[in-house]
Amino acid sequence: MSSTADKLVEDYLKRLNAELRGLPRARRRELVDEISEHIVEARADLESENEAAIRTLLDRLGDPEEIAAEARERFGLAPRKVGWKEVGALIMLPIGGVILPVLGWFIGIVLLWVSDAWSTRDKLVGTLLFPGGLLLPVALGVLASESSGCGTVVTPQLSPELNNASNCPPPDGTGAWEVALVVMLILVPLVTTVYLARRMRRMSIATA
Amino acid sequence: MVASQDALLAQMRRGTLQYCVLSLLADEERYGFDLVRGLAETDGMVTSEGTIYPLLSRLRRDGLVESTWQESPAGPPRRYYRLTDGGRAALEGFRLEWRRFRDAVDHFVERTET
Repeated sequence: MSSTADKLVEDYLKRLNAELRGLPRARRRELVDEISEHIVEARADLESENEAAIRTLLDRLGDPEEIAAEARERFGLAPRKVGWKEVGALIMLPIGGVILPVLGWFIGIVLLWVSDAWSTRDKLVGTLLFPGGLLLPVALGVLASESSGCGTVVTPQLSPELNNASNCPPPDGTGAWEVALVVMLILVPLVTTVYLARRMRRMSIATA
Repeated sequence: MVASQDALLAQMRRGTLQYCVLSLLADEERYGFDLVRGLAETDGMVTSEGTIYPLLSRLRRDGLVESTWQESPAGPPRRYYRLTDGGRAALEGFRLEWRRFRDAVDHFVERTET
């Protein structure tokens, strides 16, 4: 039973730590430390330590989100307004290279690095994980359809029977690998973009 | 109760909570858990115990309270809080103002009930 209790407490502290993201590091550590001390004291106070008792204890402590909101207010941290740099970076990184080959992606990188909404680690992830954004898969896709001669050239009204999948050679072994590669090249930039959007620091220091 | 009243009460609670913390520390030093339970036991003061810790951190940063680590009879050391001179002065100042304010509000809102 005690391991279930430990798990509940551990999850709670993990959630709290995540909600406090964006607070100055020292404040965040201090709060998490104090609240884990509180939990230790409260557990020592319990008559019997069962799952329900631990849940009640954590309920009394309150939702981590609520504690984080309180911390933001007490420390004078305003919710971050997402600015043009962040929006620009999130748009230009995946599709900038498609709109404006290479240069568009590069603009995204510059915006990513001048914004203070991300940590250096996140900026490195954004830079290294998908160089070029969706430019590469789009370019590969265009090349592939041009070289195989299927896809865009057939007009459906004139030759419906030619405009189905059988028009293109069914993918052999290599074809399947190429498809998998292209899918990955599409997915990685999209997933990275979602990751960056979620990792944006939600708070900034409004006052001292 | 209408929503705006809820918000008002939440604001009033929030604004006065720090003086309740200072009051609890006026006569003795207390460690975090003890302090928090002391506040939470009074109905209507705090809804979530955890939200008191950001306040304690803020009070310490503002120099109204200070904390020291002390051994506990059992378990890990505890962080004890006590008032600083600045905290004591802030509490005294608030007490005077609060009495005036409370009496003034009572003067109007309690009138019809008597």
